[in-house]
Formats: sequence, structure tokens, C-alpha cells
Amino acid sequence: MAKTGLPYNRLYMRELLKFFIKYSSWLVFTVYMVVSCVLLFTSNPYQHHLYLTSANAVSASVYSAVSNVTSYFSLRDINEDLQRRNADLELEVYKLKNVIRDYHEKEYADSMVVDSALSRYHFIIAHVINNSINRSHNYITIGKGSLDGIEPEMGVVDQNGVVGIVNVTGPHTARLISLLNPHLRLSCKVKGQDHVGSLAWDGRDPGEAILEELPRHAVFHKGDTIVTSGFSSVFPEGVLVGTVVDAEKEHDDNFFALRVKLFTDFSTLSTVRVIRDKMKDELREVEQDIEVKSTF
Amino acid sequence: MSKTVIQFTILTILLVMAQVLVLNHICLFNVAVPMVFIYIIIRLPITLGANWAMTVGFILGLVVDIFSDTYGMNALACTILAVLRRPVLHLYVSREEELPRPEPSIYSLGTTACLKYLLTMTLVYCTLIFLIESFTFFNPLRLVLLIVCSTLLSVLLMAGIDSLLTPRSEKRL
Repeated sequence: MAKTGLPYNRLYMRELLKFFIKYSSWLVFTVYMVVSCVLLFTSNPYQHHLYLTSANAVSASVYSAVSNVTSYFSLRDINEDLQRRNADLELEVYKLKNVIRDYHEKEYADSMVVDSALSRYHFIIAHVINNSINRSHNYITIGKGSLDGIEPEMGVVDQNGVVGIVNVTGPHTARLISLLNPHLRLSCKVKGQDHVGSLAWDGRDPGEAILEELPRHAVFHKGDTIVTSGFSSVFPEGVLVGTVVDAEKEHDDNFFALRVKLFTDFSTLSTVRVIRDKMKDELREVEQDIEVKSTF
Repeated sequence: MSKTVIQFTILTILLVMAQVLVLNHICLFNVAVPMVFIYIIIRLPITLGANWAMTVGFILGLVVDIFSDTYGMNALACTILAVLRRPVLHLYVSREEELPRPEPSIYSLGTTACLKYLLTMTLVYCTLIFLIESFTFFNPLRLVLLIVCSTLLSVLLMAGIDSLLTPRSEKRL
């Protein structure tokens, strides 16, 4: 029996408590370090919890309040972009009208199959309430969420081109992985060709990204347009991405890496469109079926 | 005591708002990012226990993380910064009992010692934050440039905030 007259287990408890109090700083430090490191090294960006992102209720309401004021600042640039895009579209409408007239003239109108490709997609308009371009992993917060029909892994574009992909949704807000984030790899091709590469940001210039893994026999020139390949259900085929600035060979010489100037100006992002693919569920079911069958 | 706590809370809210809403979007000449909210950790009273300092640092970092989508980066850096606060201060001030006030500031430490303390702490923080951020793309020259320029800009801003917070009557002393 110990001198104090206490039973052994009480004595041990007391020693243990003394130990904890003496080294409490180390304990607290370790706990905080572990929590921060767990947060930091959660590798898959789709697993991030809503409360720990800028799409949570408090930060989103702060950001949308500020955005109500600041969204007026870049109106001039956005207006110019819209005018240009409008002109392009008018031109296209004119061209299409001509094509339709040609068809009419050839009296194919009755037997023509209506192109259903476009009705497959539906756009949801949303405002950007927070955006960053100077970090190594950039994210964008928008003011619409799951109640407006937005779900994770939907593609987002603006009037100029690809913006990013939705990764976390709250009821009224959602957060996107910006194209300026190395977690996002976009399947792209040179317009008018079928060779597909993978577009990713290299963290240097917010106006440029790299199209990697393009086969060596692909043909391209400086100034060629890069568009999405449509190989996933996230973006339809042919959404504008950027133009080729420069080409360099990758280390194993079997692939090209192209430096692409992006059409989207991420510093003046204001209104974006979220792409809803009506066939997404169907596609996913089909793909899962194939996986199940192939295991037999 | 409670007056100090309220003052600190207001200062914290103001600085975090300024950091998150304005300064996070600034990247001067593409190399200098102003980091001002760490002034809270720098100004914590020297009499405050290490556990409390770490807790304040961790929560502060986490709040900034949540707003700027950086997952634990600032929480990690701020916790380390809160631990290093006392050792760094002891480099420049030998006897903390003789300070007129427990909060480190230009008034209580004197201009030279305070600027040295501010510079060291900011340098530590910027080094940590940019090292953690550059896990993906390692570009040593840009990293050093980012750290040095951001530190200088942040120190300049924080020295300004410090002089704003010092009452005029005390300045004349």
C-alpha cells in the first residue's frame, strides 16, 4: 500500500492526471495538428464536407451579400463578352437558317429527323458569389444549390467557355472545382479532329492550361480551337475551351503537350450556366450494367 | 479583462472579414499576397497560456480555411505560429515582466523589437503556408519570391494596423 493510504488504482489515476496536466500543451498541439493534417490530406475533393467549404450557410450568405455589391464592378467586360457571343450566335442562326432553307428547297423537310442531341441538355443560370484565381487549388462558389436542381459532377460554362465542375452542393449554394485547379482534368480535343487529350491547369498563369497526352500523330496548328470531347456526361461535345498557343513534346516523346489559352476570363466571372444532362442517370445505369456483367 | 476580450473579438472579426473578402483576392504583381489576420495571433497577450493560444490559432485558421476553401492549411500554419509566438518573442525581449502591457505592440516593445518580432512571425507563417500550398507544383524560385514579397507586404500592413490601434495619448510617451 502507498504512503498516502489511497488504493493503487486511485494513485495511478492521480499520476496519470498529473502527467496529462504537465504535458497538456503537447496533447493539445498534437490533436490540432492531427485534425489539420487530416483536413489537409483528404485527397479526393469530392469527399469534402459541406460545412468545411465556402458553400456552407454562414460563409455563403456573407459572400452573396458582398457579391451583390461587387458584381456591378466588372459589368463592362461582361457586357462586351456577351455582345461578342451574341454576334457569334446571330451569325450561327443566320447560317442555320440558310441550311434549313436549303433543306426546304430540296423538299427534305418532311422526312428530316429532328436532331435530339441538344434537347438532352438543360441549363441552370447561376451567379458566382465567390471566386479565386491566385491559389494553387482554386474553387468557385455559386448562389444556387440542390433545391434548384444542381448536383455534384455537373459541368459549368459561361458565355465564353468551360468554367468548372460542381463538387459540393448545399440547399441554396454550390461549390465548383475551377478549371484552375489541378484536381480537374478535362477530356478535350482539337476542333474538327478525333484525337483526345486531357486538359489540366499547371498552376502558373490563370489564363492558360496544358492539354496533355495528345497522340503524336494528331495534327494541329497554333490558333486552333480546343473543345470538349463529350466522352463523359459532364460536358456535351464541342463546348469551347481555348486556343492553342504553343506545343511541346512530353518526356516520352509519344505524346504532345499543348499550351492552351483559355477563352474563359476567370478574373471577371459573374454569371454561369450549370449543364444538366437528362441522360446522365440512364448512361450511368448502362455503364454499371456493363461493369456487373464483365465481372462474370 | 472583459474589455480586452471584447476588443480582441471585434478586432478578430474585422481582420478575418478584411482577409477573406478583400485581401485574399489580391495578389500584387502576381507575387505578394497580403496576410493580415495573423496579427491576432501576434498580438495575443504574452500572459495567455500556450493551450489557449493554440486554440485561438487553430480556430482562427479554420475559419479562414472555411471561407477560402483551403482545408486545414491555415489551421495547421496558425497552430504552429501560436506555439512559436513565445520563443520568437524571447529572442528579442529578455524580460517580459517589465513590459508596460501584456500585448506585444510597437508601444509595449519599442519599434525595433516589435518590427523584428513581426517580421520573424510573418516570415514563419508565409514560409509554412506557401510550402504547404506548393506540394503540387514545386517551383523554388517562385516559392522564395512569394514568401519574401508576401512577408514584406504583410508586415507593412500589420505595422499600419498596429499604429492605428495605439491610442494617441500613448504615442506621445
